[in-house]
Amino acid sequence: MKNGAAVFLAAFIALGASWCGFVLAPVLQLGGAKQAAVLNSSDIYPLQPVGDATLGLQVYRAEGCAACHTEQVQQDGVLCDVVLTSPGKNPAAVSSLVSSLTLQNLTKDAADAVANQITLAGGKSETHVFATGTDISRGWGVRHGVAADFLYDYPVQLGSLRAGPDLSDIGVRAPAVNWQLLHLYAPRSVTKNSTMPSFKFLFEVRKIGDAPSPDALNVPKEFAPDDGYEVVPTPGAKQLAAYLLGLRANVPLYEAPFTPPEVPTNSPADKK
Amino acid sequence: MNDESKSCSVASDGEPTATHSTVPVWIFALTLALLFLGGIYFDQYSGWFDANVYGPYVSANEVELYQPKSGAAALLAQGRGLYEKNCGICHQPDGMGKPGLFPPLAGSEWVNAKGINRLAQIPLEGLTGTIEVKGQQMTFPAGMVAIGAVLSDNDLAAVLSYIRGSWGNKAEPVDADDLKAIRAKIGAHPQPVSPDQLMKLPE
Repeated sequence: MKNGAAVFLAAFIALGASWCGFVLAPVLQLGGAKQAAVLNSSDIYPLQPVGDATLGLQVYRAEGCAACHTEQVQQDGVLCDVVLTSPGKNPAAVSSLVSSLTLQNLTKDAADAVANQITLAGGKSETHVFATGTDISRGWGVRHGVAADFLYDYPVQLGSLRAGPDLSDIGVRAPAVNWQLLHLYAPRSVTKNSTMPSFKFLFEVRKIGDAPSPDALNVPKEFAPDDGYEVVPTPGAKQLAAYLLGLRANVPLYEAPFTPPEVPTNSPADKK
Repeated sequence: MNDESKSCSVASDGEPTATHSTVPVWIFALTLALLFLGGIYFDQYSGWFDANVYGPYVSANEVELYQPKSGAAALLAQGRGLYEKNCGICHQPDGMGKPGLFPPLAGSEWVNAKGINRLAQIPLEGLTGTIEVKGQQMTFPAGMVAIGAVLSDNDLAAVLSYIRGSWGNKAEPVDADDLKAIRAKIGAHPQPVSPDQLMKLPE
């Protein structure tokens, strides 16, 4: 072959460049990802799943949940609110200044300018940061999804189609295990017009023995089996519910900053 | 057969060979222009492949800019770093200590005291003897050294504020000026104190 060396070299460079881009760069970028500190708190995130939750991801995967649900919140922008924490020594001047200013939904620059004016007037203020976007205004999460959300997930179940809602923080939105199980058993028993298929095969409908099972679901009458029967989740259903309850991407992180609604009570601002 | 012989004769005219010719200048210029535009786009939107930069942020500086900052948060963050470096080895990063050896700070009545007169003595002077925490007798095998004496007032205030405001503790943060006064009282030659001596001090 003529120019064999050149062809080999060109192929090597082409494959090597894509290997660098698709394998090496992501590993350099995120290969060392670890649990990180939650902003302004002594908590770490994400917590390592334990027990049933470790197995739930595989049930999630096997049942194809990711075909209709995503685990990624999009964020379009970030805005700030300026909150007056202390009127200072001249409350009248500060309050008249504050009433003349816009304090909410500001860009960072505008918020800094407002905070500066309040400081000059002798007051003290704090700037609260929050994420904005269509997903967030629909109530799906509070910030964009980041790699840390998936630290213990393998394979990551990002999803690409939303026949159902995003599940990044479903464990926060629906923290009751009975709700989760009921939703899997009979989706329309908890969400009226849900288009989700029923996952009845993850449950066992059986005759009540000497005593009802402690695990039995509390099913509304319309969806309940015949009298004398009970609905008991299989291990798979329990694992899936535990996994769903563990999806709690609602904490502020360095790479996804925002001010959580509850400000720690232990702050010098309260003292002064 | 005829056709075949014809094609053969065509082939016998000579094997086609690759020849060299110069690349048109406009392709070269276009490539450079695209690379230039790509470079500008990369610089503005890539965040330089920083793992902490996600949209809508475009650079590490911008992410830093939006960190919610308050005086309290900054103090706690500073305190956490210092705590984990200086105190966490014995008292543990979660403030739980080691049963019977290193007293827990989480929920400790010494840490959550109203004032810091007793609490501040411990890192500034060290501690000997057996201390009762949460109804349990605890003793450091070799006593606690005056590990806080080398920290500045501000740093020690941050550490004490951190332990008083973490792991469920909800005591007031510590003022550096108060520590300065306590340090001045102790003087240049701190001696490890015993819990009995501490109890004689006002809270």
